[in-house]
Amino acid sequence: MKLNDEKPMIMFIDLNSAFATAEQQAHPSLRGKPMGVTNRISKECCVIAASYEAKALGIKVGMRLSDAKAIYPGFVILETDAPKYHQVYEKLVRIMKSYSPKTFMKSIDEGVIDFHGMEPVLNGRTLQEIGYEIKQRVKDEIGDWMRINVGIAPNIFLAKQAAGWHKPDGLDTIDAHNLRAYYAEMELTDLTGIADRNEARLNSYGIMTPLQFLDADEYTLKKRVFRSITGTYWFRRLRGYEIDDVTTKLGMIGRQWVLRNPTYDRDKLRSYLAFLCETSGVKVRYRNVEARGICVWASLQNGEFFQSKRMYKSSFFTNQEIFRRATEQFNQLPSGVIVQTLGIYCYGVEPSRRSQIGMFEDTLKLEELTKAVDEINDFYGAFTVHMGTTLEGKKVIKQKIPFGGTQYFELLLKRA
Amino acid sequence: MDPTIEINEMVDIVPIFRARAGTLHICMPWKMRYHGQEIEFTRLGMRHPTEKGKRMIHVFEMGDENSNDYRLEFDSERLTWTLVSMIGGI
Repeated sequence: MKLNDEKPMIMFIDLNSAFATAEQQAHPSLRGKPMGVTNRISKECCVIAASYEAKALGIKVGMRLSDAKAIYPGFVILETDAPKYHQVYEKLVRIMKSYSPKTFMKSIDEGVIDFHGMEPVLNGRTLQEIGYEIKQRVKDEIGDWMRINVGIAPNIFLAKQAAGWHKPDGLDTIDAHNLRAYYAEMELTDLTGIADRNEARLNSYGIMTPLQFLDADEYTLKKRVFRSITGTYWFRRLRGYEIDDVTTKLGMIGRQWVLRNPTYDRDKLRSYLAFLCETSGVKVRYRNVEARGICVWASLQNGEFFQSKRMYKSSFFTNQEIFRRATEQFNQLPSGVIVQTLGIYCYGVEPSRRSQIGMFEDTLKLEELTKAVDEINDFYGAFTVHMGTTLEGKKVIKQKIPFGGTQYFELLLKRA
Repeated sequence: MDPTIEINEMVDIVPIFRARAGTLHICMPWKMRYHGQEIEFTRLGMRHPTEKGKRMIHVFEMGDENSNDYRLEFDSERLTWTLVSMIGGI
């Protein structure tokens, strides 16, 4: 199969070190300084976003604060501020949507504009010109410190690669003309989706560079390297053909929490569990689905991992039902163990059948109660009404910034 | 570590409303009196809305010429300005 020589019509936009840059935008005194952002400041908290100045010193995302301070004692860290990031996100989406209706966000700080079919409204301008215009608009409409990377290519994968080619503030195009030259500059782990494990897998078949990966035939990738259709996907993706424009199925919905003070106190843990169940319940109903399975998991101070899960015959979506079922699994946790991280997730997710009227009065009452409580909490703020058991958890658990996607951002803002 | 100093005090503010400015600078606090001292803001870091219950709050992140940053909140229902926190020139 030849390289996709179609005119590049996909633009990938990546906000540079999004949360850290937003904080530097808001706090002029922090500009040009090594700083980062975390969800909740503690001695051992993780840096979830680092400024470019911090990255230049070797401070990486995921690094513990103590390690970051060891590298640079003057390292400044701030707690996340969801409304601030939402403002940046909202303005960025508004700018992007003014160019094409086929715009979607891959995460809070990454988005794609598909220009296919938009040629008539481009007025003869190239995507590169539009890219530079978007960069300027981001500075004018969001803030003068905000910088974005823009990547232009025939498919989303290559557009994302192009956006990461010359960080920060880059604008690059990858097409059939420079594709091989681009791959020649890169290493396998520079490719999105190729981390250590996939690299080792490729290496074991003598594929050591992106160019060798590109030159590998489809049969080798499909039947030998990946041993699945994934090999074909890679074969096409590397050549610039689109295979990543599909919506993935919702698999699980949950929440976890790293305890500020690890504990074996069952009452406290039960309260934290209740809080996690309530927040998961809100998410389940927000996505208009029901779940049939529930899993409670915990990482323990002794280094061990606990997990207990069960699939039920009937589906559920109310906080009470989630908590009741989660408690059954939580009770399997050996007594006396010190819990560091507690999490739950609902799985076996299926479309909601809430519009169907149930036969049993008890179920109906529970559904009506859930609906009423949700309405009260929507109006007066999250956790205005909650389960009694949740009280302790509500005091200590802070809502986190969701990294994976943007689907819960509206929910997050209600509780910010 | 976190250089933010929590203040949470209501303050006197002189705002400025510009007739001809981009959406970023159309409205912003200009001067503030805090503990008898008058502070003039020279930079707007960011302005963004947020909600406290049903109340709409406008957050203004401002800077002065001494590299101090201030977080000010304007409560659009109660018409009050609060100096929420500041970061002293780093």
